[in-house]
Amino acid sequence: MNETSAPTLAPEVADLLRTAQQYRQRLQGDLHEQVVEAIYTEAERIVSRAVSSPAAPARPTFDRTLDRIVTSRLWGFPIMFALFAVMFWITISGANVPSGLLAELLVERGHPWLRELTLAWGWPDWLRGLTIDGVYLATAWVVSVMLPPMAIFFPMFTLLEDFGYLPRVAFNLDALFRKAGAHGKQAMSLMMGFGCNAAGVVSTRIIDSPRERLLAILTNNFSLCNGRWPTQFLMATLFVGALVPAPWSSLAAAAAVTGVAALGVALTFLVSWALTRTVLKGQPSAFSLELPPYRPPRLWQTLYTSLLDRTLFVLWRAVVFAVPAGALIWLSANVHVGGDSIAAHLVRTLDPVALWLGLNGVILLAYVLAIPANEIVIPTVLMLTVLVTGTPEAGAGAGVMFEIEDDNVLKQLLLQGGWTALTGINLMLFSLLHNPCSTTLYTIYKETGSLRWTMWAALLPLGLGIVVCFLVARLWQLFA
Amino acid sequence: MNWVAWVLLCAVLVAAVLWPRIGAWARWRRARSLAARARREDALKHLLKTEANGREATLESVSGALQLSPRKTAGLLAELESGGLISFEGGRMQLSPEGRELATHVVRAHRLWESYLADQTGLTEEQWHQQAERQEHLLSRQQTEALAARLGHPRTDPHGDAIPEPGGQLPAERGASLNSLPVAAPAVITHVEDEPQTLYAQLAREGLRPGVKVCVLQRTPQEVRLWGHGREHSLSPLQAQSITVEPLSGQTLQDLQREAFLHQLAPGQTARVLELSPACRGMERRRLLDLGFVPGTVVSVEMTSPLGDPRAYRVRGTVVALRQDQARWIRVEPLEAAAA
Repeated sequence: MNETSAPTLAPEVADLLRTAQQYRQRLQGDLHEQVVEAIYTEAERIVSRAVSSPAAPARPTFDRTLDRIVTSRLWGFPIMFALFAVMFWITISGANVPSGLLAELLVERGHPWLRELTLAWGWPDWLRGLTIDGVYLATAWVVSVMLPPMAIFFPMFTLLEDFGYLPRVAFNLDALFRKAGAHGKQAMSLMMGFGCNAAGVVSTRIIDSPRERLLAILTNNFSLCNGRWPTQFLMATLFVGALVPAPWSSLAAAAAVTGVAALGVALTFLVSWALTRTVLKGQPSAFSLELPPYRPPRLWQTLYTSLLDRTLFVLWRAVVFAVPAGALIWLSANVHVGGDSIAAHLVRTLDPVALWLGLNGVILLAYVLAIPANEIVIPTVLMLTVLVTGTPEAGAGAGVMFEIEDDNVLKQLLLQGGWTALTGINLMLFSLLHNPCSTTLYTIYKETGSLRWTMWAALLPLGLGIVVCFLVARLWQLFA
Repeated sequence: MNWVAWVLLCAVLVAAVLWPRIGAWARWRRARSLAARARREDALKHLLKTEANGREATLESVSGALQLSPRKTAGLLAELESGGLISFEGGRMQLSPEGRELATHVVRAHRLWESYLADQTGLTEEQWHQQAERQEHLLSRQQTEALAARLGHPRTDPHGDAIPEPGGQLPAERGASLNSLPVAAPAVITHVEDEPQTLYAQLAREGLRPGVKVCVLQRTPQEVRLWGHGREHSLSPLQAQSITVEPLSGQTLQDLQREAFLHQLAPGQTARVLELSPACRGMERRRLLDLGFVPGTVVSVEMTSPLGDPRAYRVRGTVVALRQDQARWIRVEPLEAAAA
């Protein structure tokens, strides 16, 4: 053997290796297997001598009964859907109040207060603009929109996880995921993705088969995350709702949002199916799923760890990216070249391509600038629209993001910016199908350790988004 | 000014073609020399295999195996002889010691690479052979040994063929074609021919792999009906030709049909694991072993997913879900008493 007869080996060592080699030749079958079997036999022998187990428990224990119910043909799926529907409802409705409070505190009060303060200190305009209007506002916005839903969703999710219910969900849904070449546990990272894609990507760690884990990471972005729901609701109310008679408008808007979320889930399966047959063909894969016993969730510990490990972890990463992005947004609107701001130049350059896709330059630029978090896309869109249409009285100043409470005023502004129902619908689609935010991308890079897969995760949904938007725009032109 | 551009363009083109190592010419030369080497080594491999199986290699058989015209084959054989790799003694082709050593190395590299692909990647069975056909000519001896060490010195490849030791003998292929197996005589698959690929893919989909126990139920000129791994298969005689089997002594068709597998158990039933089918390999097999599905373990079917697959089993006090595709590789003995 080449590596054993290397010249540096002492003769006794080489001799020993040769003897080992000879013994190895004599062994029949797989060595690994014999070792595993021997370990189990030995363990069993020790257990039978040292451990006495109480008499078998009364047949239908609590665990068994519960398992029978939550995985039964009749009740399995209804229970699952009901639980998750309740979770989403609590998250969405529960987050409104704290989100409003935080926005009030950080944005509506904190921002002017800081401006006054820096004015009093005599900071130059550009410094105040860059730090207060740019960096502070972007960060404040991300925190106020992102924090409350995550602080509600993640603890609930962790409680279910701690209780032991989530593996049963994977068990129930595995047949569907198997057809797409994926693992049932992907159901969990998919659900987590509805809260936040970065957290969803981290949660794929529970999938121990390399191929299935990569699949779950690459498709997580198709779960419509928290930061994108507001965009969906806004566009659906303003544009889709207006397409049908008034009594039906809220129903149509709700249906449109649900449709986009469902499209995301459908794409998760479709893309998984396609990836296993092409790019991920050679990745090793093996299924296993343990169904641990149920146990009472530890409430305080859960709250503590989910807040620290998930919420603050994600929030911190988002803030780290929001700081430079805030500066960039402000600079793009305030640095002038040839009489116009950089943002205006970029919007004009992007407009032809964007209109061809049924979007507009403002939206595309907003998606480039607001890459740290989907939460600040709409404020950036509004700021840019005001900048481009030249109606500063509607906004809060160049490079300052803002939101408008009144839907009618908002719609007027957007219509002035050249928006149509097609723009609204395509923005909904593009919001689902575009590259993940930088927080998620960075997390994907951390988790896979590969630039290649990070590129895939970014370009795959973006490519899909461009294709879908293009097709919808063409169809729209055909029929409208 | 125009001619400067033309001269530059020509210079770039010439460089792209003639540049040492990365130019088109150098690449083409390298590819050609690799292809020639592959042809030489494939011819030696053919000679070694015919010799190991007691057949005689001829110019026609070499030309057929390599899919090369007889004229080119004659040139190739002459080249091998002048290189001292083969000799013609009494009109018969013989491998010289160097030729035999090289041929054994190539076969060893091929089978080790297939084992590697089967054990450590997710490539499907029909992709192994093609990749190994190329890799066998690229692996150096040192790399081959490193690979063997990494795989734990396997003795057979995933098709059931023995992996020869360096410088050792290539054992003859065991068994005979499935077409020659008498009806109702149990046998075990020792080899599934991996060429042509389409045929192999069909057999792989049927789940007929080395290690699976089979028995011919009925044979007509159009069809071979086969019992294998708990269910019936229907093969064409052409497909059956690709399967090599070795008779199993001391077992009858009834024994085979009485064999039970984990995926066939009814909900709530308890059974003892008898063996993990040798047909289950690689990561899949290691995973099952690590989960505790070793011979002697008592398992019971705990619950079934609403969609029927996977099912959950209780093993040594824990509940583990397995897909039906995995459970079918675990042979069990149902324990009637505990079923209740």
